Amino acid sequence: MVITLIKYLGILVLGGLIGYKDKLSPKLEGKLNTIQTASLLFLLFVMGITIGINDKVISNIFSIGLKAFIISIFAVGFSILFVHLVKKFIPLEEKEIES
Amino acid sequence: MSLKIFVAVFLGVGTGYFFLPAEFSDYIGTIIDIGLMVLLFFVGIDLGKQKDILDKIKKLGLKALLVPLGVIIGSVVGSMVVGIFLNMKINEAGAIGAGLGWYSLSSTILLSDGYVELSALAFLSNVFREIIALIFIPLIAKYIGKLESVSTAGATAMDTSLPVISKSTDPQTTLIAFITGVTCTIAVPIILPIILKIPI
Repeated sequence: MVITLIKYLGILVLGGLIGYKDKLSPKLEGKLNTIQTASLLFLLFVMGITIGINDKVISNIFSIGLKAFIISIFAVGFSILFVHLVKKFIPLEEKEIES
Repeated sequence: MSLKIFVAVFLGVGTGYFFLPAEFSDYIGTIIDIGLMVLLFFVGIDLGKQKDILDKIKKLGLKALLVPLGVIIGSVVGSMVVGIFLNMKINEAGAIGAGLGWYSLSSTILLSDGYVELSALAFLSNVFREIIALIFIPLIAKYIGKLESVSTAGATAMDTSLPVISKSTDPQTTLIAFITGVTCTIAVPIILPIILKIPI
């Protein structure tokens, strides 16, 4: 777990340094958004595969799936609620979101 | 964006179920790892281009930890509450919420403790959490709030959900999301076994 954490943090910092020092060619910089979207969708596709390839999980999806789904809805809902409650103590600059 | 995400996951499930042999799952971990590294690298570049971001985080200080705290309490309390209605043991329901979206670890911990069905439930519930997060982050960011959108992701806010958060919010929120993901990731192996041992 620690190694994974260091690995992810390391690669993020590396990218951060490159971005900070403006080491990217303008051509690549224009494509950043597209690359991000493409690799994200690829990753999600692979995540879907992990679910679909496991017969046990697929059959479980229909038996215990509903229960699991209800639990996750409540976990997410209460997370939103509690973060909403502490939000006023966090001084963020509010900006409009594009798109 | 939400639609694209849904389609990508759906196509993946179909491909895995109909076309790929079970042995392929041996390689999935590596593929996901490489994909994540590429993604995080580019998210890093995005963050780095915002040169005043470190100052902003310094201004936030420990208050940035309020978000992961809210996520952890919210997830555990929420799953305990619904556990009552589902006729589950409260500590077992709470343990599922304490997975914070990290389905591989939460299900592994439960399995190693001998909880077979609970482990499957934790796996599915936390997979669903990740999918719910990925699909709804753009919508929640737009209509409820940016920090609230981060809260849905839990532990995945530092990896899988981070690119979606980065696209749907701003660099400052993205950084808080990363901090939230890291804190939640550290918290799961600590709080899940503790909650499971609560005698209720």
